Amino acid sequence: MKAIAVFRNHKEELVRLWTEAVFNTYPFETTGFLRTKKDPFGNPVADMTREAAAALYDAVAGENVDIETTRNALDRFIKLRAVQKFTPSQGLGVFSLMKPLLRKHVMPELVIQKKLADYLEAESRLDSLTLLAFDLYVKDREVLAQSRITEIRNQYAQLARWAQKLNAASPLAVDDE
Amino acid sequence: MAKLPTPQMLVSSRPAFPDKAWLDTKPEFAPGSYCYPAKKETMELLHMPNPHDWDPAAEDWNLPDNWEKILCDAFEERLEKHRSLKLFMDICVRCGACADKCHFFLGTNDPKNMPVLRAELLRSLYRRDHAMLGRLLGKRVGARSWDKNVVKELFYYAYQCTECRRCSLFCPYGIDTAEITAIVRELLHEVGLGIHWIMDPVKNCSFTGNHLGIQPHSFKEIVEMLADDCETVTGIRPKTPFNEKGHEILFITPSGDVFADPGIYTFMGYLLLFHELDLDYTFSTYASEGGNFGSFTTFNMAKKLNAKMYAEAERLGVKWILGGECGHMWRVINQYMATYNGPAPSNMQTPVSPYTGTVFANAASTKMVHIAEFTADLIHHGKLNLDPSRNDHIITTFHDSCNPARAMGLLDEPRYVLKAVCNNFVEMPENTIREQTFCCGAGSGLNTEEIMELRMRSGMPRGNALRYVQQKFGVNHMACVCAIDRATLPPLANYWAPGVTVSGLHELVANALVMKGEAKRTMDLRQEDLPNVTDDDDAAQAQGEGQ
Repeated sequence: MKAIAVFRNHKEELVRLWTEAVFNTYPFETTGFLRTKKDPFGNPVADMTREAAAALYDAVAGENVDIETTRNALDRFIKLRAVQKFTPSQGLGVFSLMKPLLRKHVMPELVIQKKLADYLEAESRLDSLTLLAFDLYVKDREVLAQSRITEIRNQYAQLARWAQKLNAASPLAVDDE
Repeated sequence: MAKLPTPQMLVSSRPAFPDKAWLDTKPEFAPGSYCYPAKKETMELLHMPNPHDWDPAAEDWNLPDNWEKILCDAFEERLEKHRSLKLFMDICVRCGACADKCHFFLGTNDPKNMPVLRAELLRSLYRRDHAMLGRLLGKRVGARSWDKNVVKELFYYAYQCTECRRCSLFCPYGIDTAEITAIVRELLHEVGLGIHWIMDPVKNCSFTGNHLGIQPHSFKEIVEMLADDCETVTGIRPKTPFNEKGHEILFITPSGDVFADPGIYTFMGYLLLFHELDLDYTFSTYASEGGNFGSFTTFNMAKKLNAKMYAEAERLGVKWILGGECGHMWRVINQYMATYNGPAPSNMQTPVSPYTGTVFANAASTKMVHIAEFTADLIHHGKLNLDPSRNDHIITTFHDSCNPARAMGLLDEPRYVLKAVCNNFVEMPENTIREQTFCCGAGSGLNTEEIMELRMRSGMPRGNALRYVQQKFGVNHMACVCAIDRATLPPLANYWAPGVTVSGLHELVANALVMKGEAKRTMDLRQEDLPNVTDDDDAAQAQGEGQ
């Protein structure tokens, strides 16, 4: 059996387990809601997590995925983690939660089949994806910081234009020349 | 060798099993999750009780010595005064219908942001002193005592509610959680706790009329600059009547539209529309802020600021008031104004459109008409010459602003106007619009930049729905009818659905409005080139050659 077939056999279970591991980073009272409600707009956090889980797993497994498609699927999830009340390591650390799952469920089978190298490649792909996520995360935080500056500027935009006009009309402005 | 923590250990933000019940878990005041406190001088100027310096991140909030008595007495007084509050405290059966309807809960996943539990923070205090079971059985029936951490908790969660009332829509009893939040904020004000971004505008509205505290003559100059910009775009300089007596209509809109991008373009839209209609109206510098920042603090403050509308309508002798695109302004007008400052002055009449003869019977009591109703009526009667193709580069969706949608039922009028001025209109998913609309995440005075992170969380359900229609239908624009939306949705859209622009409804109306004697439009109100404009002369010539 090819390594990718082993990964495919475990997809459903591992996607579920990883999704639940992510849900477990939220307060206990909330986890049940996240797990049970399926509406993408009524329960957006769960929807984002499930979408990211499937994309992440496919990319790790070595499916023929397009990097842009994977990036898009992860983008929404990272945006969420980047603004929720987590430290950066908690926000992105969820990617590392995939490793113990893979080691428990996929690695033993591949070791028996003497395909450890294939397994290690999958782990390396997970590392690359974590780095991709890191880029997205940092970009999101930069957008956030920029938004604060832009907003301060926008609040007083017309006032600033008016002040500039006053300054131009002031006799002092002529004296300067 | 020192042991590094495993990823699992790093990620785990809570113990595997909660060691404390939810009511005993205390909020953490991390930067980005709380608003800056109001200044002591501001609170003193406004005669607010117990003004003092304090810092939400500090251990000690410098509460007055008898803070517990103040709060208990104030709570009792509110229970006496507001029958609704007593009812809301008593009748909740904790069915949980509201639990997952709050945008703050969906974005933060903090259980205390479930409206039922947010209200429970106050209800638990109510039980101790005002419910027999609570008095007898105490903690076993969810009663608890006041302590300083409880005050902090109330502050933390009362400013993580935008009073949008989406939860109330789903409550089988119709409990208005927004009103509970409003009461909690009132109570906190009794011990001197308020936030800067609300109290500073309250001060400015109290003393100078608009939320930034710009003097009347300067305010007028700024509006005139906008009229100049209108002339640049259309070749027509609209009139800007201020404080003139004897007109039929007084126009009141949020002052944010005079100062802030992109609200100013909506304001230019009003100016152009009124000029084209030759509307018999005036602005007022005294009543120049429609949005009622007082309604985010106490009912008395809301009443005081609201009083300016009728006072000015009486002084200027107008027949009725036309109101601009605003959110909370309309909740105050429709829900509280009659009790606060009604009835309307005797010089006022039930509004009648001077162009269509339509009687706005729905405004018989308030004498105030929402501009979306007014414009929809004009369009319905064919009174406006519109060229929606000027907005063809826009695929727009519509964000129902919470208060016009849920507090006045303004659902179809803005859509009617939008569809008349834009050829491409797409709705967001059904459970995110109309009565079920998701808040922008920063209403009720939370649109301050220091909590940008929190706003992106609470606005996530809206951002998520917007992102969906952006990816599925190529939506690149979102229209709204609220000044707070115009301030808060641009960063939200930029975060969750980059590439989507935000504007008020009347910016799009004015872009499509074909005015008498206007110059050929080559740019929109933002002075950006209109992509669909062809050079008529060249086109005509080319056509001629072709023939």
